[in-house]
Amino acid sequence: MPETCLAIESLSKRFGGFYAVNDLSMDVARGHIHALIGPNGAGKTTFFNLITGVLGADRGRIVFEGETVADARPSRRTLRGMARTFQNIRLFPHLTVLETVMIGEHCRSFPSMWQALGSAVLQRPFGEAREETKMRENALALLGFFGLAEKYDAKAGDLAYGDQRRLEMARALATQPRLLLLDEPAAGMNPQETHALDALIMRIRDRGVTIILVEHDMRLVMGISDRITVLNFGTKIAEGTPAEIQENPAVIEAYLGEDVTL
Amino acid sequence: MFAGLIDNYTQQVLIFTGINVIAAFSFFAPFKTGQVSLGQAGFMAIGAYASAVFTQKFGLPFAVSLPLAALLAGVIGVVVGFPALRIKGIYLLLLTLGFGEIVSVIALSWDYIGGAQGYRNIPFNPRTLGYVLGVVVVLTLFFGRLERSSLGRAMDSIHQDETAAEVMGIDVVRIKLLAFGLGAAIAGLAGALYAHQATYIDSTTFNIMMGVEILTFVVVGGGSTYWGPVVGAVVLSLLPEFLRTLREWLELVPVSATNYFPMNRIYDFLHEFLDFENAKRLIVYGLILMLMMIVRPDGLITRDTLRRLTFARWKTRHA
Repeated sequence: MPETCLAIESLSKRFGGFYAVNDLSMDVARGHIHALIGPNGAGKTTFFNLITGVLGADRGRIVFEGETVADARPSRRTLRGMARTFQNIRLFPHLTVLETVMIGEHCRSFPSMWQALGSAVLQRPFGEAREETKMRENALALLGFFGLAEKYDAKAGDLAYGDQRRLEMARALATQPRLLLLDEPAAGMNPQETHALDALIMRIRDRGVTIILVEHDMRLVMGISDRITVLNFGTKIAEGTPAEIQENPAVIEAYLGEDVTL
Repeated sequence: MFAGLIDNYTQQVLIFTGINVIAAFSFFAPFKTGQVSLGQAGFMAIGAYASAVFTQKFGLPFAVSLPLAALLAGVIGVVVGFPALRIKGIYLLLLTLGFGEIVSVIALSWDYIGGAQGYRNIPFNPRTLGYVLGVVVVLTLFFGRLERSSLGRAMDSIHQDETAAEVMGIDVVRIKLLAFGLGAAIAGLAGALYAHQATYIDSTTFNIMMGVEILTFVVVGGGSTYWGPVVGAVVLSLLPEFLRTLREWLELVPVSATNYFPMNRIYDFLHEFLDFENAKRLIVYGLILMLMMIVRPDGLITRDTLRRLTFARWKTRHA
């Protein structure tokens, strides 16, 4: 049995009378690509928001690497080693591609704001801080990994859609996470880009990052996932390997109605 | 210090231009994290009154009272910054506006600092120009370094998408508080420098219109780089001087050319309009603001402008 990276224990979140996530428990094993699928409105993005602290949970516990993550702000959770991308891309439109990735590195280079302030004030005149040089080199390497190195000087907001998706991943990886939450990375990508995404996500996994993947592209999910959890109306209706999920009648019904093969 | 070099009038103009640049920086600091404050005049009032009390009532030298006044304004800025963390846009504008009013009412009703009579006989500081130039240089260097630093970039990211910045591990709460407190402290500097130049302040000196004026500096100059507030404050401070010159030129027009119908009215209007000693200044500010919003909504100086001016991609010098 592989080591657990993230354990969710009866997590719930209610908006008014509607449970977006209802009594959800699941374990994510370290080094896995764990997919989370379900029809629109099943609570997948809410689940991401709960894990990263963008939203507070009503009930339940999140255990990351053996420690309970208790009502900490998102930036603290990022420092502990989680990162995410957004379903509706949230880049900083006026920063360049390179600067965007360096934002991700900021929390590792300067764990305390006073250090960052000191580095800003004490840098050499007309030169730059030593950390800055290091951050830029790391960022360029990361951009190379995502095939964006050529576009380092473009405004993030000017990139093509697929490039923006990859830039979001690069920015998230720059925070040096051990758990990465990808929210529909293939949305808006063309078929070639989606094909390349398979390999890309597996290469991220091979860097030692556990991945939770929310995705509607079933070819992608079935192809690369080690394990799949299926949500419907905020509740877990199935969990298993891709092969098991594909044959699970509850899943097929929830997703597509009866008598359809995934 | 510069007494022998330049006449009194020029010195006066330079001092108030410099104080306006400092005030514009005080607006720029919180603005860099996306916080728009109309209350910078309130922090200037705190710095001005504090420095007046420190020098006149406690007998401290100006060199000590200036940083103390800035510190006090900065601490109050952090306190005001806490509620400001949770609100955005128009609501933050209203909160800071309210703060300015509170300061003004306290100044009006607290007899220890002069109350309705205002604070009189603040020790005049003959070296204000030197101090003003010193503070402007230090602040320009500071904001220049901030802009080239990771912290400055983090502030920009907060301005552009606060939630995304927080999720990327940026400590949004602390950085926003720092920026707000820093802006308040800088406003305190501007107020203290003002007080010892004017030697008289009262509850209406640092009013809402001053808060709007400070905002105008940054809107006109541009808020994306630290050169924006500098250029905006200098241009708008020297504009009255420029218009005064235009008025003098206007008087060179021969009377024969302006004593028949449309020309005499136009002449009178221009003559009146360019008289800058009164509230008409605000009409001009208003017109400039409207014009800027249409022609150059990002301000006179943007980062792209700087890039074009320097011909250098200074941010990325890699092969």
